[in-house]
Amino acid sequence: MTYGAPDMPMSLPAATEATVTREDVLRARDRWKVRESRSRGRWLRLLWLLAGPGVLVMLGENDGPSMISYATTGATYGIGFFVPFILLTFVLAFIVQEMTVRLGAVTQRGHAELIFQRFGPFWGYFAMADLVFGNILTLITEFIAIQAGGLYFGIPSWLSVTMGGFLIFASLTLRRYWTWERAVMALTAFNLLFVPAALFAHPSGAALAHALVSWGPLPGGVTAGFVTLILSNIGATVTPWMIFFQQSAVVDKGLTRADITEGRWDTALGTILAAIAAIATVAAASPLFTHHVDVSKLNDGADFATALRPLLGTTGATLFALGIIEAGLVAAMTISTSSAYAFCETFHERHSLNLSFSQGRWFYGVTIFSCLFAGGVVLIPGTPLVALTLTVNVIATLLMAPALVFLLLLINDREIMGDSANGWWSNLAGGATVGAISLVGVFYGVITAIPGLLGK
Amino acid sequence: MRNDPYPVCALEPGQLAAMRARPLPRRELTQPALILLGLLRLYVLVAVPIVCYAFVHALMTPQ
Repeated sequence: MTYGAPDMPMSLPAATEATVTREDVLRARDRWKVRESRSRGRWLRLLWLLAGPGVLVMLGENDGPSMISYATTGATYGIGFFVPFILLTFVLAFIVQEMTVRLGAVTQRGHAELIFQRFGPFWGYFAMADLVFGNILTLITEFIAIQAGGLYFGIPSWLSVTMGGFLIFASLTLRRYWTWERAVMALTAFNLLFVPAALFAHPSGAALAHALVSWGPLPGGVTAGFVTLILSNIGATVTPWMIFFQQSAVVDKGLTRADITEGRWDTALGTILAAIAAIATVAAASPLFTHHVDVSKLNDGADFATALRPLLGTTGATLFALGIIEAGLVAAMTISTSSAYAFCETFHERHSLNLSFSQGRWFYGVTIFSCLFAGGVVLIPGTPLVALTLTVNVIATLLMAPALVFLLLLINDREIMGDSANGWWSNLAGGATVGAISLVGVFYGVITAIPGLLGK
Repeated sequence: MRNDPYPVCALEPGQLAAMRARPLPRRELTQPALILLGLLRLYVLVAVPIVCYAFVHALMTPQ
């Protein structure tokens, strides 16, 4: 081991050494490797060490409902307009998430605590409450995805939900951010199962290329259903929990101002992988379009996998169902963690995956309670799961606007951001993105809440 | 833990848990920011009933 990398302070002031905690020591271990790799110019290793929050947030957002949304898109419109459109939504997601990397690395604060400290208790409690409430409902939909994927394999609901919950709790017992992150990253690799599933659909390379270049075809033209699908695809790519999770994860991982470039690469990598998985899902479901299968009767992952079996074969449909289980599981892990970060940041409780159970009882408690609640709700007979799923969409899209406004206000706060605040161009891109997503979110929220507003 | 071979000095002072627990000062809001936050409060007042309506409506719609 080489001590004394050129830019490394050799000791901390005595006052701070006295308050060093387990969390600090564990984070320091990770930072030491980063400093060593940077000083030796080992850039690939540096990227490997610093990657994580971006990959997790992007592949986490390819969750159960999102994959169903992409599958519905493929089954309704085939390969055409939506392929480049989904790519565009991921570009928007990258623009938003890149800002959270800078905010976390520069301020060393999570999103919820920054809102609380800079804008006061009203907005602090509001941001936390709307996030946690929306997250708990979203968690229910993730357990529905796990349950649906399990049902395809004949696994009873209680067993698949219990197994999902067990895996989430097992990941928390690691009590180490780095290990937790790597374990969840390994799981996210299964999101790419949709790629081989798509290959079983034998998608035409020429059709994909044509769609990318021409933004078409668009069978049926612009209808109310088309508008709803456009909005739900945007909602499937940018959601409030992503902002809170990535910023807190960046802080927990220990990224600093010097790591912003690698943080951007991490986010870009996650964006590319998630976009590939999303487009693969559209392609995998496109045979349902060419065979004129009625999509309105397909509600969950099991329905889609069953409908796809005669078209993709048993292996293709199995990959699809496994992908749905992964989508629900990884999202449940990241979303429950984002709730815990936001809750503890707002109520000034310790918040880190590097904490022991006794130090982080509130942090782990919120994560475990939200998963137990969501899993329990799914298992209650007669629970209105469809109603809950619908409400999740409305809440997430309606409450996206405040989250994005605060993101823009914070990233332009030069008192805390200094030179890393948004420049003119960043504000143009960020402002346009935030404005567009907010308007679309409000519109989607309203038409979902008031069905029939757009007619048939 | 204090004898850990990895020195805590690999952390920047601002990364220590004790330093991160210190709150940042409240932001002095400019007039445009105050107007924006006022509009946001209005938006929240409109959005919350829509969320409630959507939930109740979805609950009452037969599955």
